[in-house]
Amino acid sequence: MIVTLVRPSFYQDSVVLLALARELRSLPGVTEAAALMATPANRDLLAQSGLGTDEVLSAGPNDLVVAIRAERDDAERARTRAEELLAARRQPRSQGAVHSPRTIEVARRRAPDANVALISVPGSWAAAEARRALELGLHVMLFSDNVAIEDEVRLKRLASSRGLLMMGPDCGTAYLSGVPLGFANVVPRGRVGMVAASGTGLQQVAALLTARGEGLSHAIGVGGRDMGDAVAGLMTLAALDALATDRGTEVVAVIGKPPAPRVRAMIEDRLRALDKPSVMALLGHGVSTGQRDGVTTVSTLEDASLAVIAALGGERWAPRPFSIDPADVRRRVEAARRGDGSQAVAMRGLYSGGTLAHEALSILEPLLGPVASNLVAGAPSRHRVVDLGADEYTAGHAHPMIDPSARLSAIRGAGENPDVGVLLLDVVLGRGAAADPAGDLAPALERARAAALARGSELAIVASVIGTAGDPQGMAAQVSRLEGAGAWLLPSNAQAARAAACLAGGQAVLNRLLATVPA
Amino acid sequence: MAPAVARRLSASTAWSGRVHSVFDRTVNALGSDGRLLTLQGPGLLSAPFAIALEGPPPGEIEPGASVERIGGRLDVGGIAVDWRRAQPIDLSIGTGSDLAGLAAALHRVPPSLGAPALCSARALEARRAVRDGIARDDAERFAVGALALIGLGEGLTPAGDDCLVGILAVLRSARPHFLTRHPGLAGTIAGAAQVGTTIVAREFLRHALDGDFSEALVALVRASSCVAARDAAERLTRMGATSGADTLTGTRLALDALRPR
Repeated sequence: MIVTLVRPSFYQDSVVLLALARELRSLPGVTEAAALMATPANRDLLAQSGLGTDEVLSAGPNDLVVAIRAERDDAERARTRAEELLAARRQPRSQGAVHSPRTIEVARRRAPDANVALISVPGSWAAAEARRALELGLHVMLFSDNVAIEDEVRLKRLASSRGLLMMGPDCGTAYLSGVPLGFANVVPRGRVGMVAASGTGLQQVAALLTARGEGLSHAIGVGGRDMGDAVAGLMTLAALDALATDRGTEVVAVIGKPPAPRVRAMIEDRLRALDKPSVMALLGHGVSTGQRDGVTTVSTLEDASLAVIAALGGERWAPRPFSIDPADVRRRVEAARRGDGSQAVAMRGLYSGGTLAHEALSILEPLLGPVASNLVAGAPSRHRVVDLGADEYTAGHAHPMIDPSARLSAIRGAGENPDVGVLLLDVVLGRGAAADPAGDLAPALERARAAALARGSELAIVASVIGTAGDPQGMAAQVSRLEGAGAWLLPSNAQAARAAACLAGGQAVLNRLLATVPA
Repeated sequence: MAPAVARRLSASTAWSGRVHSVFDRTVNALGSDGRLLTLQGPGLLSAPFAIALEGPPPGEIEPGASVERIGGRLDVGGIAVDWRRAQPIDLSIGTGSDLAGLAAALHRVPPSLGAPALCSARALEARRAVRDGIARDDAERFAVGALALIGLGEGLTPAGDDCLVGILAVLRSARPHFLTRHPGLAGTIAGAAQVGTTIVAREFLRHALDGDFSEALVALVRASSCVAARDAAERLTRMGATSGADTLTGTRLALDALRPR
């Protein structure tokens, strides 16, 4: 027999209706059951199935019909069960479902104690979101790029007027009270406070400090344009003021490209006024290094870490080109060049970190002469340093610290180019970076070296890994994988760039560099 | 909130209606203009006529309760909903994309189990007609299939309607002139939906004919990479028991029909 129930204007969601039909079909003696809205199409379906009773066929599209075919007693039991199930119309609200807030206002209400907003939205919306956050009294880390300089100035002025930090735009890394934000290596808390206009620059210094047993109190990113004329160091100065009063900070380091002259003067004034030693790492050509009025100026990221360590120990910092044994450097260079120190070969620097590429360029040019690059317009050259994180490489792709495809393509191209004899790479580890960057690169490096060998030439690979022992990728495993692919691993990007210069430039460069090594 | 809802509420200071249906995370209000408005819990907008609240809809709202706009608020069965500062979420699908990338991406996504009725003889014939209609630019054949899908199958939004919404999303993006070049086609579908399906499904179809869709479906059609398409497809299939999967069935069908032969 067929029994039917019709519930006029009765609405249950699809999950309930399907479960209802399924349970009815599983009851003893039930051969068919359906729970459908009585639309004309469904009434036809039920009629074709022999379930189209008069009651069903006269129902409307917004009526729920339940139709059951079963033996007489079973049919009645099934109808009773259907009525019970329909009576339990409202399901308990699902527990434990967590929905991300859609607006900063909602996020703020849900986390009233939060005092920092990390914003990562497309550039055209970023300024508006940052303004909302600042108006809610939150410090802002603005990961987004492509924010107009005028908006950056307005946002930073707003932040200054409210005593807040506006980190960014294009701020990739920060550590606030030990909490890592953005791309960040696993580093301990410690005595060093940093202000950085460069994400990967901050990572390199933090990683080198960690390797020497030091840690960070806070590291405040300010965005790459903060020290320029337009922004006039608004956040660099605010961050220095914050670190000045932080009792956990014993030494302060500022990292960036050389600021606009008037901004540099303001920063130096502020550093001299600190009651703590300080280091300025200015990555660029012609930076005059040394110590003056308690401020040590250096020109590489590694030197920044060394100068900080020296300051913590009350010592003077002295630059050195290599931390490894100079004899080992000579041996590696001569072996790679098969004893031929006279002939120069072309070098390719393929970088994922923009600041690391910039640092390499500033080290290579004084040693090799002009080096072409997408970082700055310059004279053509056989040597080239490429920042693969630049817009022209990342349109439609993730950043090369996450997606290796652009670099793999460039490595393949270098391997096929008979002029290229040296590859220079950075490999950045930490939270946010690729799960296994060395594993991504190693097969391509092996193929590139094999291609060079097949035509009777050598392709030397020089690299540095920016990471710490605590990073999720495993520092030792990453180094081992790259060395297995034939790469020469140096302890820092600066040393890797110098090693690449020796390999590309021959004996003259090698001798010049090693001549500066203190006895 | 859906921009269409913002427009409707802004256009009339006297919007009123009744609570039509109440679910775990959703309250549907039927306006005196015959149009639906959905209040839902936090998350992706499940309909192009929805407002997402900061939490689940209050449990005490019952079907039949009055709904009234009072100033900048909606009074829903005595509970105030302030929509004035709600953030509009663009739920329209732009025109002019060939969606070949989406088709390739969906090839790598295993099909989800949809409603059984979509595999009935009637549904399979309807799907064939829709596919032929799109592939041959034959509006009559398309209409035969589309009308047969309306109101067909399981669910408060019957599976056939969900499937048709997925089809319309692809057409909107990749063949926007299909509906406009065939005068009366959209009106025929809207007219059939008026009497042939549930109020909720009808509202989805009316918005789809205007180019507006649920947030999950919009994300799928706008997906710019394989990974994004796969993620969006997974999110879509989590909607309802089979509603999302049925919508994806329609999306695949239309993409297949557009494939050059």
